Amino acid sequence: MDRKLIPQGTAVLGLDLRTFSYLDAPEPVLRDIHLEVQPGSLTVISGHSGSGKSTLGAILAGLLPRHSMDQLAGTLSVDGSLVEFSDSSSPRIDIARWSQHVGLLPQDAGHYLSGIRGTVAEELAFSLENAGTPREQMHLKVTALAQRLRLDHLLQRHPDQLSGGQERLVALAALAISEPEVLVLDEPLAGLDQQATALVSELISLLRAQGTALVILARTHRLWEQEADALWLLDQGTLQRIPDAAQHQIRTETQHQHPAEGAPLMLSMESVRLSYPGASGPAVQDLDLQVSSGECLGLAGPNGSGKTTVLKAIAGLLQPVAGTMSVAGSTGLLLQNSSDQLFERTVLREVSFGIPKKSSLHQCISEVLEQLELESYSHTHPYELPASARRLTALATVLVREPKILLLDEPTEGLDEVGEAKLKEIIAAVLARGGAVILSTHDGKFMDSVAHRVHHMNQ
Amino acid sequence: MPRTIKLHPFTILAIAVAVITMTTAASLWWLSCAVMALCLLIAGWSGHLKKLAVLSGAMLLPTFLSLLLIHGLISRDQSPAIAQWGPLRVTIHGLEVALSLGLRTAVLVVVGLLCGLLIDRHQLVAAIDLSPVPPQLGYLLAASLFLLPQMAEKQRRIGEAQALRGAGTGNGRAGWFQRVRLRAVPLVLASMQDAQDRAVHLSARGFPAYGAHTRLRTVPDSPVQRVIRWTAAICAVLGPILILLLAAMGGN
Repeated sequence: MDRKLIPQGTAVLGLDLRTFSYLDAPEPVLRDIHLEVQPGSLTVISGHSGSGKSTLGAILAGLLPRHSMDQLAGTLSVDGSLVEFSDSSSPRIDIARWSQHVGLLPQDAGHYLSGIRGTVAEELAFSLENAGTPREQMHLKVTALAQRLRLDHLLQRHPDQLSGGQERLVALAALAISEPEVLVLDEPLAGLDQQATALVSELISLLRAQGTALVILARTHRLWEQEADALWLLDQGTLQRIPDAAQHQIRTETQHQHPAEGAPLMLSMESVRLSYPGASGPAVQDLDLQVSSGECLGLAGPNGSGKTTVLKAIAGLLQPVAGTMSVAGSTGLLLQNSSDQLFERTVLREVSFGIPKKSSLHQCISEVLEQLELESYSHTHPYELPASARRLTALATVLVREPKILLLDEPTEGLDEVGEAKLKEIIAAVLARGGAVILSTHDGKFMDSVAHRVHHMNQ
Repeated sequence: MPRTIKLHPFTILAIAVAVITMTTAASLWWLSCAVMALCLLIAGWSGHLKKLAVLSGAMLLPTFLSLLLIHGLISRDQSPAIAQWGPLRVTIHGLEVALSLGLRTAVLVVVGLLCGLLIDRHQLVAAIDLSPVPPQLGYLLAASLFLLPQMAEKQRRIGEAQALRGAGTGNGRAGWFQRVRLRAVPLVLASMQDAQDRAVHLSARGFPAYGAHTRLRTVPDSPVQRVIRWTAAICAVLGPILILLLAAMGGN
């Protein structure tokens, strides 16, 4: 930090924010927030998508306000020292030095990885390398952390070859290895399987025991209620204590009828083997799957067990190298990472992409946008959308083609509770019109509420 | 499965530079051919022969054709023509010049490409990081070397997303042009967005390091390799001067 830090109280991180506005925004995104984080504490901040959780996380991590762009009025204190922001004074924060105290795991964990290292081990050691840590010390730290998180088998793998969940776990480990005093984790459990979730929880307990404070930003606080020292709800730009956890939960139970006996088969896979070009071994072997009209099948299994590969094969992006596969009707795939699916300049252009103006499907565009409550975002760039709206936009690009078989890869990742309710309605509608749905998710509760049966994939 | 060559990247580069400068200075057709034959042998041993042949062919064929056109067919050289079609004159001297320049370029291309195939880019970046050169150089090289693979991966994902919507799935040359047209703008925009998203976290992780920094990766080196590197560097600088001096003395 350019500014001289002044010693203050005992909280390891404190924020006293009057207002925060992005450049050229008409209204402040955040206002009247007072937050203090004690060493070893667990603070959970929940809120719907677009409520400003990620913005708050970026402020705590020193990434916002951008110098001479955004407006912050208030004070930020870290490790007993204070930085003041006002309309007339906006000190520039040295991010590298700030991150020695406060580290942030972004919602898209892949962005935390450098992309310029050849193995997971090097990716874990990246911050230590830049800090000039001796090699033997780095090696010991990487090995110990990898063993604790059961990442040993991934250490020599190229970071590009990780599954979504593995990538998040590696990013979290890469963040934790520098041992900052505060870790801000934006949706740390999204896309993680049960084992990885348990490992992350274990790591969080361990870090807390060592005195590291954790701030968790999540769409729901229900997973953290038992352990959290403070539960907050971020609503309308300000923080409120959560008095009764149940109050803020939206009931979205949707009852599905089971598929009729003798319903026609929509998908049949027999002894299917799938492998990626250039890969040393198959990603999926001897897979048998059958899905009927009106049926919702869940794919479960640990990270890296091949769930995404199966969905890509059904969508026609990957041809089986052995076995037989027959698909009756059109397919539509929602990819795990929305950013991979969105490439146009506006939501409307995105959803309309590739649909001829004279096509009957063209009429569906406005219907789908309305159904997913995205009309107000029609002329917004997809990258500027809140995570949940971005996820729904990716879903809209799939639904507009009225697929008979809807394929969903970790569909609840990034969705808030309202978005999740929409998704359940969509699944029910596809099944009701005689289609089929195949989804992979680590969200057991969601899986139980929509899937008629679950196929377990083995690694 | 290509074999890996366990030499320090600087050793390979130093030898390559020495070979290129001395072969260019010598300008002997048999020496250029011998160097290229040796490169092909090394490529064959390391499992990169096909790649080297295809890449070299793609670069050298147009080079040779243009040199032939300039020096062999429309040369203003006054030496006797061995064939003539209107303004086009083929002379022995013109052909010799075209062949000589072509072979020098060929050595540069084949040796350069072989270096690119033999050197692991992660090893090269690590070697630069561990050397006393300014850390910004390692950063620049890493950014340049990894940009293309990252963009290739990104365009593959954009292609998948478009294919899921039935676009850009055509075959043949028309299909290829359609895919390029559809993917170009999203690729540039997505790459810029990705760079912006990553940059802030790279800064938070202390990259690029301006002070003392270390690497987990080890780059194999030895006193023998260091001697080879220095010898090659001296040869690369003094070799051509010596060759040119000897040639001048021989001429006198």
